[in-house]
Amino acid sequence: MTILSRPRFIPLAALLLFGAAVAGADAPATVSATCAACHGADGNSRDPAYPKLAGMDQEYLLRQLKAFASGKRKDETMSPVVESLDPSEFAALVAHFSRQKPEPGRQRKPDLAAAGKKVYEDGNSDSGVPACAGCHQPDGRGNARFPRLAGQHPDYLLKQLMAYKSGRRATDPLMITVGQRLAPEEMRAVVEYIAGLGSE
Amino acid sequence: MKPRILPWLGAGLLALSAASATFSLPAFAQPAADEMRQALQLGGRVAAGEEAFAVCQGCHRVGALGREDGSYPRLAGQHASVLIKQITDIRAGRRQNLKMHPFAAENVLGVQDIADIAAYLQQLPVPPDQGRGSGQAAALAQGRSTYLQDCARCHGSGGEGDAARFMPRLAGQHYRYLLREMRMIRDGERRNANPEMVELIRNRSDDELAAVADAISRFGAAGN
Repeated sequence: MTILSRPRFIPLAALLLFGAAVAGADAPATVSATCAACHGADGNSRDPAYPKLAGMDQEYLLRQLKAFASGKRKDETMSPVVESLDPSEFAALVAHFSRQKPEPGRQRKPDLAAAGKKVYEDGNSDSGVPACAGCHQPDGRGNARFPRLAGQHPDYLLKQLMAYKSGRRATDPLMITVGQRLAPEEMRAVVEYIAGLGSE
Repeated sequence: MKPRILPWLGAGLLALSAASATFSLPAFAQPAADEMRQALQLGGRVAAGEEAFAVCQGCHRVGALGREDGSYPRLAGQHASVLIKQITDIRAGRRQNLKMHPFAAENVLGVQDIADIAAYLQQLPVPPDQGRGSGQAAALAQGRSTYLQDCARCHGSGGEGDAARFMPRLAGQHYRYLLREMRMIRDGERRNANPEMVELIRNRSDDELAAVADAISRFGAAGN
């Protein structure tokens, strides 16, 4: 991989000089060759089945890539893709997506979103669902430990919640508990609320 | 610089702090209390505790202020020793708490995390805005008198608790949570309460408990 043996300080300097305008210029070739088709070159996926990665913390993204690589996290689309990647490139890939600017979230279903806001901010004390805001922050921006959720595709979020509920995704034991405790209608509502987070 | 000395120095300090630990375990906490003893002897780090507390605040709220409806207790200002005992009791199943149980599991919280979280919570401010009871005068007077007669000896005249004896601080706690736990202790549902307390509370009516909880909920933030 010649792109990796290239000194890093040149693209970094370019980025510092020209800011976000050239964010794509120093991206690893793998981004356009492999990642962009689903996640978008700038990490703002247009396909509701695939997650937006723009602005996610790079430590979190790296943990997920490694989980896919080790088989701890499985997905019929993503697992074979990760298998084809060179692990030494992971750090550059996650750094690229992490520094992309997330597009503002979009609220599609205001009624559901209003119910979802309550779940997001208060949880459900009867069933023991914690407020999402506790870990993922009130504005959904997340951090290294808990992923950014703001503006994420509802379909993708719902799929992940269901995967946690069934135990198929087990990257975080707490989310398995949360998935099991959330009622189906709470899941559908909260993902709509999250989709609208991060709008200016 | 002789870097090899450092680990030995650390081990020595640890042994020293273990030897000088001021906590003696209450008889009712035996025998499965090794983890609790370990957490008590580890130095809790406030900054690390604040970070680890992130997974708790979805329920206990930012600042660990709990919820007025009693669904989740206020933890701010609670004695670290009490918090360590309760968390390790819940995790080991000595205290029954199904909602909290998965969040206190070994793969979520390490023993050091427990010590850190306890240190963080203990130093948090307790604003005097906890949920209170109805304040009905006659009941409140009765509640105060019962408290002084039966509760103050362990929990302190102002509800300040006693860290060395694992007696929870009650001042600043939400009324509905106090009442919920008193009922659970009376009805044998909490399971890890001090047997002396279970005995004292055994024949009290709901009204009597409500009066005492109301009295406690009026203790000021400083424990007075």
